[in-house]
Amino acid sequence: VIELNTVHFETLLYDINSLCVCVSPSSCVVCVQGHGVLEMPSGTGKTISLLSLIVAYQRAFPLEVTKLIYCSRTVPEIEKVVEELRKLMEFYSKETGETNNFLALALSSRKNLCIHPEVSSLRFGKEVDGKCHSLTASYIRAQRHSNPNQPVCRFYEEFDAVGRQVPLPAGIYNLDDLKDFGRRKGWCPYYLARYAILHANIVVYSYHYLLDPKIADLVSKELAKKSVVVFDEAHNIDNVCIDSMSVNITRRTLDRCQNNVDTLQNTIQKIKETDAAKLREEYRRLVDGLKEASVARETDIYLSNPVLPDEILQEAVPGTIRTAEHFVGFLRRFLEYLKSRLRVQHVVQESTPQFLKDIFDKVCIDRKPLRFCAERLQSLLRTLEIADIADFSAVTLISNFATLVSTYSQGFTIIIEPFEDRTPTIANPVLHFSCMDPSIAIKPVFQRFQSVVITSGTLSPLDIYPRILDFRPVTMASFTMTLARTCLCPLIVGRGNDQVALSSKFETREDFAVIRNYGNLLLEMSAVVPDGIVAFFTSYVYMENIVASWYEQGILENIQRNKLIFIETQDAAETSMALEKYQEACENGRGAILLSVARGKVSEGIDFVHHFGRAVIMFGVPYVYTQSRILKARLEYLRDQFQIRENDFLTFDAMRHAAQCVGRAIRGKTDYGLMIFADKRYARADKRGKLPRWIQEHITDGSLNLTVDETVQLSKHFLRQMAQPFRQEDQLGLSLLTLEQLQSEEMLKKITQIAHQT
Amino acid sequence: MASLSEEVLLVVKKVRQRKQDGTLYLMAERIAWGPEGKDRFTVSHLYADIRCQKISPDGKSKIQLQLVLHTGESTTFHFANESSALKDRDAAKELLQQLLPKFKKKANKELEEKNRMLQEDPVLFQLYKDLVVSQVISAEEFWANRLGGINNTDPGLCDNKQEVGISGAFLADIRPQTDGCNGLRYNLTADIIESIFRTYPAVKQKYSENVPHNLTEKEFWTRFFQSHYFHRDRINTGTQDIFSECAKQDDKGLKSMVSQGVKNPLVDLLSLEDKTLDEGYGLCTSTPSTSSSNRTVKDSSNSAIIKRFNHHSAMVLAAGSRKGDTQVDQASETSSTDGNSRDSDFFQPPVKKVRLQEAIEYEDLQRENGPKTVALNLKKADRYAHGPVPLQSQQYTTSQDIINSVNYIQHEMANYKPNLTQVLSSTSASSAIAALSPGGVLMQAGAQQAINQMVPPEVQGELKHLYAAAGELLRHFWACFPVNTPFLEEKVMKMKSNLERFQMTKLRPFQDKIQRQYLSTNLTGHLEEMLQTAYSKFHIWQTRRMMRKT
Repeated sequence: VIELNTVHFETLLYDINSLCVCVSPSSCVVCVQGHGVLEMPSGTGKTISLLSLIVAYQRAFPLEVTKLIYCSRTVPEIEKVVEELRKLMEFYSKETGETNNFLALALSSRKNLCIHPEVSSLRFGKEVDGKCHSLTASYIRAQRHSNPNQPVCRFYEEFDAVGRQVPLPAGIYNLDDLKDFGRRKGWCPYYLARYAILHANIVVYSYHYLLDPKIADLVSKELAKKSVVVFDEAHNIDNVCIDSMSVNITRRTLDRCQNNVDTLQNTIQKIKETDAAKLREEYRRLVDGLKEASVARETDIYLSNPVLPDEILQEAVPGTIRTAEHFVGFLRRFLEYLKSRLRVQHVVQESTPQFLKDIFDKVCIDRKPLRFCAERLQSLLRTLEIADIADFSAVTLISNFATLVSTYSQGFTIIIEPFEDRTPTIANPVLHFSCMDPSIAIKPVFQRFQSVVITSGTLSPLDIYPRILDFRPVTMASFTMTLARTCLCPLIVGRGNDQVALSSKFETREDFAVIRNYGNLLLEMSAVVPDGIVAFFTSYVYMENIVASWYEQGILENIQRNKLIFIETQDAAETSMALEKYQEACENGRGAILLSVARGKVSEGIDFVHHFGRAVIMFGVPYVYTQSRILKARLEYLRDQFQIRENDFLTFDAMRHAAQCVGRAIRGKTDYGLMIFADKRYARADKRGKLPRWIQEHITDGSLNLTVDETVQLSKHFLRQMAQPFRQEDQLGLSLLTLEQLQSEEMLKKITQIAHQT
Repeated sequence: MASLSEEVLLVVKKVRQRKQDGTLYLMAERIAWGPEGKDRFTVSHLYADIRCQKISPDGKSKIQLQLVLHTGESTTFHFANESSALKDRDAAKELLQQLLPKFKKKANKELEEKNRMLQEDPVLFQLYKDLVVSQVISAEEFWANRLGGINNTDPGLCDNKQEVGISGAFLADIRPQTDGCNGLRYNLTADIIESIFRTYPAVKQKYSENVPHNLTEKEFWTRFFQSHYFHRDRINTGTQDIFSECAKQDDKGLKSMVSQGVKNPLVDLLSLEDKTLDEGYGLCTSTPSTSSSNRTVKDSSNSAIIKRFNHHSAMVLAAGSRKGDTQVDQASETSSTDGNSRDSDFFQPPVKKVRLQEAIEYEDLQRENGPKTVALNLKKADRYAHGPVPLQSQQYTTSQDIINSVNYIQHEMANYKPNLTQVLSSTSASSAIAALSPGGVLMQAGAQQAINQMVPPEVQGELKHLYAAAGELLRHFWACFPVNTPFLEEKVMKMKSNLERFQMTKLRPFQDKIQRQYLSTNLTGHLEEMLQTAYSKFHIWQTRRMMRKT
């Protein structure tokens, strides 16, 4: 495998370097026939090296690798990947002189792609989806034949009429390019993109499209087996998997579900009077069973869907729910049962078999019809020609829950809480059906595609991902940055000037001395750090408390003398505004501080390049809220199934979020920033050892347990050093290679050495 | 002139002005005086023109009231009614006292502007003194040209005071001090008040609404510091707090800011997620409920503090950059007004593209493209390209001519042969050199430096003023040409007489003075020349006009 790779490895480096992209030790040995885990600091050309490597391979062996599926996390990140790809392709055509016939495109939700004037003006994704569906569903369009006044989407009509005949011309299509193209042709960009990903060479989309069974079933089912899948920014991938398989049911859900069921009942009545043949037709189809799907999966055309387990494909829909009325009656019974379960007075936790047994005892619902519930509901909704699917989200949710709960005897748990812990007097019963095993959702992906690469700037410790996702990687590598100057400065502040130990641990978090020292740290830093400072707290509640007591003590006012203060709130729109103002303040030289929360939206999706983040301060260790029952259940499961100790997992989780937060500041080799860990617990080996290698190697023994004053001194020194001019020549030959340097014997040796090490 | 509809507020009889008996009228917009027995006013001033009033000291025998106008003129009224002179005067004074401030606000910004200009520009001030105060031209004439010129140029240029931002911590600077007896003292400076007004327009509005009608300034600020608005973390108790409305307005402002959304798509958290999970899916681990019902009082006060900081910082930022923003806002408004959100969609991509490009480019990977240059900031690009254009096009020499002459000179030079028999003798040559060197016989008169030393500095200064004044007058004069309207005709006549007057009253005395000091050099020669040119121009114009008339 290595040999094979070195061939392409050279092409890769050649590509990168002629672009004059830095040769980070990007000796990424992507295993072309297996799965891999790569950790690479951001700003070292992770994306472009992966892209060029795989594209080079694709060009060399077009039959071995037919498609690259690049999954990223947020819309801007997706768009960034496509732009990098465009650069790469431009370079290719410049070097080789021929126009290549690559088709690469980004796919996103309707909200980002719709060009219908009315539909796209809606603000929320869900509304856009619903409205779109009401204009493009097949029976709506069928109705139009009889009733020309029925509104339809002209873009979809146009696309449906001619769009499929000619494949999308080769090129790179970002979201906006798709929209432009759609406008020019009058075709719906969303459906065009969904159609085009089947024959595209490179697809870039969000990883929900592959991991969430509900969406994957629609979008990614037919993607070719010989594809390379890359999950970028994948440090949270286990949570995404879990989220996509978990269900929460509240009383409100059930009420809405009740309404849905009533509507269904009425519609069935109506249809029975007017068009009974339709229902009979459906019945016949259900007798035939899901044979088509079964054939398709056997012949390996479809990506399997964890919500639609293999076993049920063999069988026909059971007779008890085959007629529409029976099925509605069945739903009613199930609903009543759930309602009765929500009437509990105390917390209940049970496994799925327990739940199934209970439901059988109480309302005589068998496991088998439950498993067909989701499929049966889809069929019914299609038959009844329901226009607005969004209205039926509640009943869809319940039926999905039914199918999941009856399919998986392991990996899930059911927790019913009659009230929230904080407010025991207010009844607000919730049924959590929570997935504890992320491997369930991602399993089809690993099974189907020949190579899957999981990568991020912060994946340490690497070995835990294969364990919790249950796969066997061929390579695991963590790269560091080759730097001409040490542009990052991690410092661990363990004590205040008064020698009070700084820590956000539960016992001391209300301690005024700690809060005051944290305030002093921020105050002192605000006086020495230029432009932007980002500070992260462990949780939103913690931040609120600290801000309040800083306000009382007048610390915030003093900070305001140095910089403006912006604070993340729980409202995303408000936070966006604060963020923009923060950037504006950094831009115009006033300088600002952003107080934010680890695990919040800011810590996940926003980069603080250059002057937007000259220092990141992490107040405390961002442990997850450990009292939650769901988390406890998951920890238990991890211990039993994967032999991962609770503490190990909690620390791992906390450290990956801490690394994610501080990693926001460094986005390249010309960038520089302080990383301040303000908690004495970071100095311990078990915490420190879990930081990514590229941060860890810069933590010296001297910077382990600093006081606030010492931190300020070190920061001053660092910042002064960094403020010196830094030119390209300084980097050349060290962290930046020209083509000649690259091709030199010595360098090749060095690179192969690094490649072998990993 | 005196329309009958004018409201007369006060009539005072037996008021003398310039030793003439008459009646003083105070009307709604002006003050007027008419001599006894006549029905027209010989004196009439708009209140807006009056700068201040002065009264004679109480002990004085003559009871007088003086009005000083903005132009510097003054009018004195003598209250001559023996029995009630003092009372009359005081009545007039009181009424004026009330009336004048009302008009003062209106009293043209122009005036302030003029004042400022004079203060900032000493040359202009001197000019003003020379021309207006000595009544060579009237003030209006002087300003007519000035202000017009200002309005034409870039407003940024004339208003060259740099806009000062607001300190983020101005509220922190008003640290209260205990005054010993269970009270707090806040120290407010004009700067801080200004900062508060600029950051919180709502407070400013309250201020102008309530001060001084309902509250004194001191009361206002006392209430401000006591208010819930100032101390966000305290619980709102009083409903009669005048600032509770401000808080609401601030909230509204914050909301509108939020609803405007963000321009940079990379920081828009709302559109960050590609696919949010449907309601009901996913883990909701440890998210504290945000429903307002079960929030404790402490929570809500905490979040109020957070909101307040965000708002405060945003407002400080906005106050600092308000000027630049207006244009941006206008631009964005035009884009948003002409349609629904579809249009904003069309406008978005460029911003987005630029941001994306920025995000994927690494500056250390760019090849450097030659040395960095400083961009020229050209006001008139064509002028830069062509250089100053000579007026007479006939004087152009063709390139052929130039080449020819160069050739000719070259030829001459090549053929030059020194005629050594006809040169000067060495002694006379050296004496000539000595005479021509600085300090030599021939170098004593006429050199530039010499004037410096010969003419005393005060004369120099005076000469400079004369030049400035003459230049100004001449500018006015020449600006009348071509004379194509009756107004200009009139003006050119007037300007000519102005010039003559200038020559008589200013230039002549100066020349005499110079002569008296035996400064023989014709210092004023050039001035005279300029005036003569103007006169001759005027004569030519006049004769032409006469000819046309006849």
